[in-house]
Amino acid sequence: MSRNITLNINGAQHTVDVEDRMLLSDAIREKAGLTGTHVACEHGVCGACTILLDGEAVRSCLMFTVQAAGHEITTVEGIAPAPGELSVVQRAMQDNHGLQCGFCTPGIVTSLTAYLRDFPNASDDELKEALSGNLCRCTGYMGIINAARQAQKEIQGSAK
Amino acid sequence: MKPAPFEMHLPTSVSEVVALLDEHGDLAKPIAGGQSLVPMMSLRLASFEHLIDLNGVSELNQVSVNGDSLRIGAMVRQSTAEHDPQIVKSAPLVAKAIPHIGHFQIRNRGTVGGSIAHADPSSELPAVALALDATIEAVGPNGSREIAAKDFFVSTWETSLIDGEILTGVRFPIWSGKCGFVVEEVARRHGDFALVGVAAAVQVDGSKVAKAAIALFGVGGTPVRASEAEQALIAGGTSADLDAVGNLAAMNLAPSDDVHASGEYRKAVAATIVARAIAKALKEAQS
Amino acid sequence: MSGQAAGRYVGQSIKRKEDPRLLTGQGRYVDDVQLPNMAHVAFVRSNIARGKITNLDISEALQVPGVIAIYTGDDLNPYIKEYWHTMGGPRPALDDPSGAHPPASVLAPGDVRFVGDPIAMVIAENRYVAEDAAEMVIVDIDVEEPIIGLDMAVAHPEMKVHHELNKNFSGIMPYMEVPPVDEMMASAPHVVTRRFKQARATNVPMEPRGIIVKHDRGANEITIWSATQNAHEVRSFCARLIGFPAQRIRAIAGDVGGGFGQKMMVSRDEAAMMIAGYLLGDRPIKWIEDRRESLIAANQAREEWVDVTMAVTPEGDIMGCRVNFLEDVGAYPPGAGGGAGMSAGMFPGPYKMPVVIPQGTSYFTNTCGKAPYRGPWMMETVAREQMMDHVAAEIGIDPIEFRRRNIIHQSDLPYTTCTTLVYDVVTPEETLDQAMEMLDLAKFRAEQEKARAEGRLLGLGVGVYIEPSAIAFGILSSDQANVRMDENGKVLVALSSGSHGHSIETTMPQVIAEHLGCDIDDIIIMQGDTASAPIGPGTGGSRTAVIVGGACQTAAGKLKAKILEIAAHTLEANVDDLEVNDSVVSVKGTPAKQLPFAQIAAMAYMMPEMLPEGMEMGLEVSARYKPAGSFTYSNATHVCTVEVDPKTGMVKILRYIVSEDCGQMINPMVVEGQIAGGVVQGIGGVLFEHMIYDKDGNPLATTFLDYLVPTAPEIPDIEYGHIQTMSNSLGGYKGMGEGGAIVSPPTVANAIHDAVKHLGVHPTDFPLGPSQIRDLLVHAGAAV
Repeated sequence: MSRNITLNINGAQHTVDVEDRMLLSDAIREKAGLTGTHVACEHGVCGACTILLDGEAVRSCLMFTVQAAGHEITTVEGIAPAPGELSVVQRAMQDNHGLQCGFCTPGIVTSLTAYLRDFPNASDDELKEALSGNLCRCTGYMGIINAARQAQKEIQGSAK
Repeated sequence: MKPAPFEMHLPTSVSEVVALLDEHGDLAKPIAGGQSLVPMMSLRLASFEHLIDLNGVSELNQVSVNGDSLRIGAMVRQSTAEHDPQIVKSAPLVAKAIPHIGHFQIRNRGTVGGSIAHADPSSELPAVALALDATIEAVGPNGSREIAAKDFFVSTWETSLIDGEILTGVRFPIWSGKCGFVVEEVARRHGDFALVGVAAAVQVDGSKVAKAAIALFGVGGTPVRASEAEQALIAGGTSADLDAVGNLAAMNLAPSDDVHASGEYRKAVAATIVARAIAKALKEAQS
Repeated sequence: MSGQAAGRYVGQSIKRKEDPRLLTGQGRYVDDVQLPNMAHVAFVRSNIARGKITNLDISEALQVPGVIAIYTGDDLNPYIKEYWHTMGGPRPALDDPSGAHPPASVLAPGDVRFVGDPIAMVIAENRYVAEDAAEMVIVDIDVEEPIIGLDMAVAHPEMKVHHELNKNFSGIMPYMEVPPVDEMMASAPHVVTRRFKQARATNVPMEPRGIIVKHDRGANEITIWSATQNAHEVRSFCARLIGFPAQRIRAIAGDVGGGFGQKMMVSRDEAAMMIAGYLLGDRPIKWIEDRRESLIAANQAREEWVDVTMAVTPEGDIMGCRVNFLEDVGAYPPGAGGGAGMSAGMFPGPYKMPVVIPQGTSYFTNTCGKAPYRGPWMMETVAREQMMDHVAAEIGIDPIEFRRRNIIHQSDLPYTTCTTLVYDVVTPEETLDQAMEMLDLAKFRAEQEKARAEGRLLGLGVGVYIEPSAIAFGILSSDQANVRMDENGKVLVALSSGSHGHSIETTMPQVIAEHLGCDIDDIIIMQGDTASAPIGPGTGGSRTAVIVGGACQTAAGKLKAKILEIAAHTLEANVDDLEVNDSVVSVKGTPAKQLPFAQIAAMAYMMPEMLPEGMEMGLEVSARYKPAGSFTYSNATHVCTVEVDPKTGMVKILRYIVSEDCGQMINPMVVEGQIAGGVVQGIGGVLFEHMIYDKDGNPLATTFLDYLVPTAPEIPDIEYGHIQTMSNSLGGYKGMGEGGAIVSPPTVANAIHDAVKHLGVHPTDFPLGPSQIRDLLVHAGAAV
């Protein structure tokens, strides 16, 4: 069975025809053409497909597209404040070599963005735990952890 | 890894859900957070002709305190339960169990009711429900009923919910006095299913242990209540021999092997972590 | 000992140029390519390890709406013209005594040989429908007894995975009787023998394999988009496979989401796509491997045993070794698949060993094939570095002292190993010193003793190794950079190599900008497209910094020379009197006399009258670089401390220290990123990852819930020390892409060993998960 629904992604409306069974990750990539959301396990472990649903980080491979109608979706393409700019988290990732091949990166950017917004005062162990939902095979996590630390400091600083 | 075809239904009330389940019978499956169900469907280990989405049913999102119990609606997200001040205060064991579930992105979507209804024997919340003698609320074609947690978990992924029935909420007794609540587990990595885990609660009165609740998970087809160990702890008080309590808890377990650990390992480590959990819980209660 | 001073760019931690694109979701990986009219592929794979296909019925599946075609082995295998990789060379004869390649097939040739073996491919309008139809393909298999695991392969030499062959190994180094060595060993004061086992692991690039094949019959062209480490191999393999002119094939890699060796060569699934795409014509087909397929059917590695016998004097001098390398190459490795030959050569590592007698066999089994994985020969270091600790324990000396006693000193250089490798510029002793300084050994030993008194188990592990980087023979010998300054003075570079996380869009411009004198932002890198890239072998063998870097440096130098010649002519100065700063050529001491690159470039393309007489117009140079040696050696020492929970067997890594010498660092941040990535893969191989099969040949780790890749909380903050000694390769660079993964496994294992050896526990087998460690403690009577 398929239906016509409207997805709100990064503030734009995408009216798409989807089968009920279509995973949200596939609709974002193939129907809305936003290929920054990466699919790397399709069983919810790797975190590459993480998006923000009404601001909360969730796996887009663990939702069906029809469940997302009426909600606000933010993908990695919607994180930077403006084209050509980088967000605090994105810049911290670049500053700390938090990415190599870049495949896991979109899920890390979305996850950290939401996590640090909600838990700017997380302990270092909590930061690492928050990152446990994103697999990376290139960096050994060192650059990502350091990026999270830098972004956290900046976010704490700007809150003062 | 794409799911087989199905039709999604998007009801907004429990009565609609029940009607849809009644209409489609065996061919239908309710979906809560979907964090376990969707991967099983994508792996084509499970398929259904109809999915009944509970995410639009707002009456399942409520958290409330009624006298000496805390009620958590089935669709309350795990992340909400982890941080909700009322839950943290009234059912600390629930809040403490949740950080062990997957990762924060999973908990943002996963629900308290979904986890309990899914009844994975390695999961934390079923063990918490069992330890605390929670009451499961269900609604089905014959109306609503209540099921004691000890009668709810039947075997791996199997509960005493009957066809057409859904879990609508869980009531956890509120413990008062000087209490300690601990969830301790051994997992290969942070967020993995526990090789073996324990949910434990104690209430102390001076050197006495007034109440004790211990349930293990990852050790069989269902969470397992360690009643003899609880009795031994109550008998022994705050200076009880915790290794002996741990051994009692593990004594009758017969966990199976998998790629991550042998059954023998799980049994031996169950004793260890029960002892460790009780020690922490007593310390918390006494502080 | 210290290196050359960092330049303006070389030696600086320049932020990566590729990052803004990748951080904002603008990368272009193979699955991001959408072509009009594209169809999608799902494979039907065997769930039986070995057996004859008695029935293969696609009729029902063909009826599924949206199915375009279904191919089986009978449809595709006959189109195979040649099946071999450039690196491995043409296939040996079936009866060649020294080894074999698996018989060529792209889909199961009437029988299945491992769980995951592709039996049929379904082409449909989308992947959902393709999977629906794949489920409806009926496959009946007459099950036969599979060969699973090295135990069985060794015990049953009469059993064969491939009935077409007269043997069950892909390569062999036979036992050699060497009477003087055997006599020495027979009479040596101490002779210690151990068998070390690695656990089968898999590369797990975050982007699984993926390929799009488009055959444009009208233009008589094939275009392939592939998640590959080597676009040229995709092209040349395809050309040979179907007998199509290579020059009419274009292979494009684009962004590639990791490979670690798994994407070096073309796999059978990808070859099936090439034939199917060629046959289907005009309808491009796409296959994106899903994670379950990746864990079952993308090539694996590390199922290896090493038997070491080491003779030692009472003082702790190594007298010699016999080493037997046994490896499981599965059913369908690409080519022969083995690493034992290279392992044999590298076995002496950083130590003076008078003699090493190697032996080895690479067995076929009914499991997924073996492919390179970051340091494919690394079992030598895994075995040697654990052996150093086991021997030290046996003869009662400190393992670090035992290493120091046998390590190669500066005064020994150049040092020729007993396996005939010549180390010219290496610093094993210096990295050991630096790592120990970073650790504070005395402090750790005191903590360890105190902890033991409390019933806690702390341990310290050390690993030292020499990395044969920039492997340069055969197709791997050289790389090329084509550097073109356009008429606006900006630079476009085509490299023979490509990146799958290597940072070459940053590091290679650093080299070029340094040696050309331009601004780094004026350089754009093109890579991974056979239409523009010079011939090269892609990534592999830690070659990029040394060989591609050498090509970039040479090309930049050539281009600069021409620029200076033009400038000298116009400025009426001697070339020797000119200097370059920020893309401006000026006369030393007379800064007013200057010419910007843009002006020189305009002259070169548009003002022939401004050029020296006889000079060819334009500013485009190419340089192909081959290092002088077959290897450019780098080295490192790793140190790890752990705490083992005696009750649960859980291991917590407390500190992880790396002292590394990779010569002149181009970008220290990138160097450290490579180290960390490799170290964590190595930690995974010891503590977490195990691609385990049951006795029937069923893989048991088919999702990320069971195949455990390390995550952030499991990783300590890695501490780095750098020593920079200039290699004899251009620029002084040494490769270091694999070392982190090579020596971290024995380092972690040694730390665990150190924590428990006083209890009589001497681990030799990976993985060392909590269950295994607890079992060892129980067997030693150290736990109940």
